[in-house]
Amino acid sequence: MKFDTSGLESTASVFGTAGGDLVDGFAAAATAFELPATKDFDGFQKEAVQMVKPAKGTTTLAFIFKEGVIVAADSRASMGGYISSQSVKKIIEINPYMLGTMAGGAADCQFWHRNLGIKCRLHELANKRRISVTGASKLLANILFSYRGMGLSVGTMIAGWDETGPGLYYVDSEGGRLKGTRFSVGSGSPYAYGVLDSGYRFDMSIEEAAELGRRAIYHATFRDGASGGVASVYYVGPNGWTKLSGDDVSELHYKYYPVVSAETSEPDQMVEA
Amino acid sequence: MECVFGLVGDGFVIVVADTSAVNSILVHKTNEDKIMKLDSHKLVAASGESGDRVQFTEYIQKNVALYQFRNGIPLTTAAAANFTRGELATALRKNPYMVNILLAGYDKETGPSLYYIDYIATLHKVDKGAFGYGSYFCLSMMDRHYHSGMSVEKAVELVDKCIMEIRSRLVVAPPNFVIKIVDRDGAREYAWRESVKDTPVAQPEALEV
Amino acid sequence: MSRRYDSRTTIFSPEGRLYQVEYAMEAIGNAGSAIGILSKDGVVLVGEKKVTSKLLQTSTSTEKMYKIDDHVACAVAGIMSDANILINTARIQAQRYTFAYQEPMPVEQLVQSLCDTKQGYTQFGGLRPFGVSFLFAGWDKNYGFQLYMSDPSGNYAGWKAAAIGANNQAAQSMLKQDYKDEITREDAVQLALKVLSKTMDSTSLTSEKLELAEVFLSPSGNVKYQVCSPDTLSKLLVKYGVTQPAAETS
Repeated sequence: MKFDTSGLESTASVFGTAGGDLVDGFAAAATAFELPATKDFDGFQKEAVQMVKPAKGTTTLAFIFKEGVIVAADSRASMGGYISSQSVKKIIEINPYMLGTMAGGAADCQFWHRNLGIKCRLHELANKRRISVTGASKLLANILFSYRGMGLSVGTMIAGWDETGPGLYYVDSEGGRLKGTRFSVGSGSPYAYGVLDSGYRFDMSIEEAAELGRRAIYHATFRDGASGGVASVYYVGPNGWTKLSGDDVSELHYKYYPVVSAETSEPDQMVEA
Repeated sequence: MECVFGLVGDGFVIVVADTSAVNSILVHKTNEDKIMKLDSHKLVAASGESGDRVQFTEYIQKNVALYQFRNGIPLTTAAAANFTRGELATALRKNPYMVNILLAGYDKETGPSLYYIDYIATLHKVDKGAFGYGSYFCLSMMDRHYHSGMSVEKAVELVDKCIMEIRSRLVVAPPNFVIKIVDRDGAREYAWRESVKDTPVAQPEALEV
Repeated sequence: MSRRYDSRTTIFSPEGRLYQVEYAMEAIGNAGSAIGILSKDGVVLVGEKKVTSKLLQTSTSTEKMYKIDDHVACAVAGIMSDANILINTARIQAQRYTFAYQEPMPVEQLVQSLCDTKQGYTQFGGLRPFGVSFLFAGWDKNYGFQLYMSDPSGNYAGWKAAAIGANNQAAQSMLKQDYKDEITREDAVQLALKVLSKTMDSTSLTSEKLELAEVFLSPSGNVKYQVCSPDTLSKLLVKYGVTQPAAETS
């Protein structure tokens, strides 16, 4: 498979053919893309790439506990201030025993997770056994490392169940890969970590764990503007993954904090004041 | 932030690294082992961008293993350090690895040795060395308290002093450290110094449903 | 019959032979011979120079002995122009290794890398094999003194005593007879000269027809490669009784 990277290539040649007069050069190259109004094109491009990179307007989390792994995420997609979708599937089903989460570039995540799915299936056919979570995450990390610095934006967790039990890895497009028991990725992750860390116990039941994940996502969406929509919760156990729930976070809000009919006089006065 | 340091003692080398995996303001993990065993008698303690660190140290580890496999003799610590430096130098003008390395080893002929290799491929043979924000504290600590021919006990004492200093003076101090030693009997983990316990990786037997 | 199989290096004959490689070995059988002996305190190499014409200017440097690196030297038998190419690659390999690891290249690795080159020419089409055999003498910190022999096929092995070039089989069997495990370097020189004097075609052995080189450790512990000067060599020949004093013969 080969990408059409022509759009990414430097358009410096435009200047090269322009001859002495720059303005004339632009007129002659009328069919080319319009160039950004900057002298430092490389710097502009770098900055543009940086803009989409670190934010990862999302909240995703996953953790290992007694019964297996819980994976949870919100469902909002945003482009700057604009919410482009409230129903994104950020938990990607790689195969019946493995899930990937999506933070960063949606296309990058989707594409490379599907690619990983293919590699995992081929491994299964070649070796007559399922790939380990360790192996799968290393495959992905190696691919991402080989593309490092080229603008990919991926922050993902690979969670699953293999012959050694539950597995969880954090992998990102800078080439990082961490083994762990508790991760959260995305702009809402600090909020999610706060809830997750304080509520976590290894010996939770599946229900308790699912509720912790859901709650962490809800609180992240409450504080993080780039996160919202539906809080999905998946569980991965010895028999593969199952989706446990998908709740609209605004409904969760009223479930967690029901409106209490209180005397409204006092707040009214405060508004006036 | 990152703290990697080490020193040469009497017949051994001790290396220490923090165990935090950090991403901007987030600490993803506090039990990440940043000291890798290169072969039976060599250790690499590395700091730098996590992707680069892992990829590069694994690359060196595999090449050292390949050499031993092909030629039936292990590389000396000096040769491994020079090889590592060479690989960093060739990468430097193409796709540089952001990784700083302390390479510790023990050879029959030359005894214990420690090499300092930074990401711009500088190589120094040193008695003591450090990388990262922690280096500002432990370099002076080691300058003050280090002397040649230290015993393991004395060295560990100094290492603990350094860790305490980092924990108390560095604003972004990592909570946990791992200490490893290499001597005539080989490379091994010596101890962990933990002030925050990360959830241990689940034991499979506890997970049987 | 064999015509069909000997014009290319890459093709096996029905009997499973590579004729070009065998012919290359044949070519070496006519070349000036060389003998190498491993002793406990050094390695000795002696070689026979073929003086083809009286008019030929005898070169001041060695013809059959070449220093590859401070710790390795070799003796050559075969086509010298081919040998020069291989010696050059060997020297480059040794320097590359030092560049990468900042220490001398282990002797066997050097021999192996050269034999890999040789092997390549027995397999890839359109090229002929190198018509050269080598004796490598060297020292490294892992295995001490070593002697290796290689042929045009790219085969090599470590030896206690070995001979290449003309009459190498006769020399080899004499070495087998007289070699002792605890031999000193001095005795090894004597043995090498004796064997060479008996297997050489020319009747009188003189220093013009000979080269002697040794690899040993200097008292300071450094590896040393030393070529014996013609004067010293003449004296040695007389001392060991392999030739009459020069004054009488001339």
